[in-house]
Amino acid sequence: MKKVGSILLVMGFLVGVVSFAVFGQQVEIKIWHMEQPPHRVKVFQEVIDQFNQNNPDIFVKQQVLDWMNAYQKTIAAIQARQAPEILFTLPDFTTVIKQTGAVQPVDELFMELDQKYDFIEAAVKPYAYDGHIWAIPTYGMIHMMWYRKDLFAQAGLDPDNPPRTWEQLLTTIEQLEENGITGIGVPASYHMYTDQAIYSFMIAGGSHQIFNENGEIVFDNPKTVRTFEFYQQLVDHSPQGITGWSWAEPQLAFNNGTIAIAIEKGQFLSPFEEESGVDGSNLGVAPVPYPADGQRGSIYYPNGMMILTTDQAKLAAVKKFLNYLYEPEVNGKWFSMEPGLFLPVTNATLNSESFWSNPIVAQYQDLVKLMIEQSEYGRLFGFNHQSVNQNIGKIAGQYILAQTVQEMVVKGLSPEEAIKWGEEKMKEAIK
Amino acid sequence: MQLKIKIKSGWNNTSLFGIVLIAPLLLWIVVMIVYPLISSIWMSLTDVDFLGINSNFVGISNYIELITDVEFWTAMGKSMIWTIGNALLQLILGFTTALIINQQFKGKSFVRIWIILSWIIPTIVLAIIWRWILNSSFGILNYILQLFNFVEQPIDFLGSFQLAMPTVIFINTWRWFPFLAIIILAALQTIPVEQYNAASIDGANSFQKFIYITFPMMRPTLSVLGLIGTLWSINIFDVIYMLTRGGPAGATETIPVFVYQKAFQEYAMNKASAAAVILFLFLSVFVVFYFKIEPTFREDNFLN
Repeated sequence: MKKVGSILLVMGFLVGVVSFAVFGQQVEIKIWHMEQPPHRVKVFQEVIDQFNQNNPDIFVKQQVLDWMNAYQKTIAAIQARQAPEILFTLPDFTTVIKQTGAVQPVDELFMELDQKYDFIEAAVKPYAYDGHIWAIPTYGMIHMMWYRKDLFAQAGLDPDNPPRTWEQLLTTIEQLEENGITGIGVPASYHMYTDQAIYSFMIAGGSHQIFNENGEIVFDNPKTVRTFEFYQQLVDHSPQGITGWSWAEPQLAFNNGTIAIAIEKGQFLSPFEEESGVDGSNLGVAPVPYPADGQRGSIYYPNGMMILTTDQAKLAAVKKFLNYLYEPEVNGKWFSMEPGLFLPVTNATLNSESFWSNPIVAQYQDLVKLMIEQSEYGRLFGFNHQSVNQNIGKIAGQYILAQTVQEMVVKGLSPEEAIKWGEEKMKEAIK
Repeated sequence: MQLKIKIKSGWNNTSLFGIVLIAPLLLWIVVMIVYPLISSIWMSLTDVDFLGINSNFVGISNYIELITDVEFWTAMGKSMIWTIGNALLQLILGFTTALIINQQFKGKSFVRIWIILSWIIPTIVLAIIWRWILNSSFGILNYILQLFNFVEQPIDFLGSFQLAMPTVIFINTWRWFPFLAIIILAALQTIPVEQYNAASIDGANSFQKFIYITFPMMRPTLSVLGLIGTLWSINIFDVIYMLTRGGPAGATETIPVFVYQKAFQEYAMNKASAAAVILFLFLSVFVVFYFKIEPTFREDNFLN
């Protein structure tokens, strides 16, 4: 009798296991994103864990990519039919990946989320072309001029009156140098950071159009030459090593006082006090300076999420997850993975307690407000006309702006020569 | 009828057993070498951009574009500098080290074991370590150079157009010369000590012993190392890419890096394949030439 009982128990267990395997399968959603720092991954995981806990039929999993090889890995994954269901993106990246045919229009889901959370138009525009919306905007990032108020004061400069124009910027740098402080550090590396930094100055200098209305390359023009000439001057004032700079180096140099000014996005807020050893009130931010006849502006990236699956069960799971992610409470918590870097793209989050109550955002509230204000002047190469030029992905993917800077800084070409080289490279890329 | 019988009698159990034994290797060669090679050749004759998307046959136009492309020849030139630089430095350092550790001294075993440390470090770790050491903002090397007033300004080893290639060659040599030293050491130990003793009795000095005994006895080993080393060296991608990504401004863009950039940065899989095929042909010609001129590989020497 005991034996029969044991057999029945084992059978019952096996039936249970088989039933779960057959009927109780979870829908797995893979997310690939490019937010590499461990603290960002940790916060995102907390957000995901909360969702997984409340939705046992869905399992969301994050995997991290590096922007420097995101293009290659994504294309290879799509070809191998191993693409994630959700892929984080930038507008230029979307134009390239869309050509593989794997990117699904998200019009319906976007409308649903928009009705609930009200997306900011500037964040959606770069993803809306060819009659569809190709990604759901996630957060915005804007380039600013960061400066150390304590170092400004040491050099006898007014900490509350940062340079507004290119001329003032050069004068400020020179005054800092006269006081033994390296004024600025700008990148000249083969990296996305250099692409972004030079483009911020191109916007300010009035040479933000890489294409004309007809889609022809118009990179080689007097205003771009002027911007590159100015950038070369900034390079001359920068410390050694800028030809290898990625995201970490300028922040490190800024926080340890090696440089007094840096052009970067909002990730400077969070670690400033701890790494610099000075009070947070010494961190200053201002719009990227522009020439007398230039314009206020800098590069603005509305990041987004593309959907790469056509499987109905997975699509339903993705929809459920995104509805959760955009709830202002969750959205605000998610942005706390790097407070200040990620700016809201929905009015719901922009006006939410969860975003503004983050201790870092609360501490640097004025700085964050200035970044949000600067976003209104933001631009992105390839997305400055009514229609989106889908060739921009091929130019951005090769970091041709950064390569052009390197031709000038590393090889010693004149700005005119470097820009001619860059224009040829761009034409070759889109051929 | 007669032929049929001959073939039939040729297929005995031993032959079948032989085929079964070599079948896995043949399959491996077909899947891992022949198929990718044919696939590359095919892609080099098409206008494919992304892998497998919309390709049309375009004949040899990719090859024509490449051989008229200055960038390709610049990369070829960089590959030559890279290969010759590595070969010379590694040979000098490897030989010298092998001769030193072949002597009797205290701690010889310790040195012999730990010398291979650089060789067993994973490439990514090696790249990160050297990038940190050489970093011009916070690297230890620049710190020391400035501390002892050797330089006023930090040196941007990997960011300078002039210094990047020598630096990358140095790092690769640092990694590989111990391996060469160990191989050369093993060969040195096969030279009968009686030959040196006889030479000493005849009044030969150290240099003469090296020229007339050591070097000729080492020649077969050095020939093999020369061939394998060249093939390995010219195909190295990982160290260069992880240290400089072929930059700055193409200063370290050898052919493997050029192929990668074309394929995965410019999405020109067709031109990348053409460049890879040209490299393959170049190396094949090199191997044939090497076998012809190097006595070690002559058939009679093989037979001996």
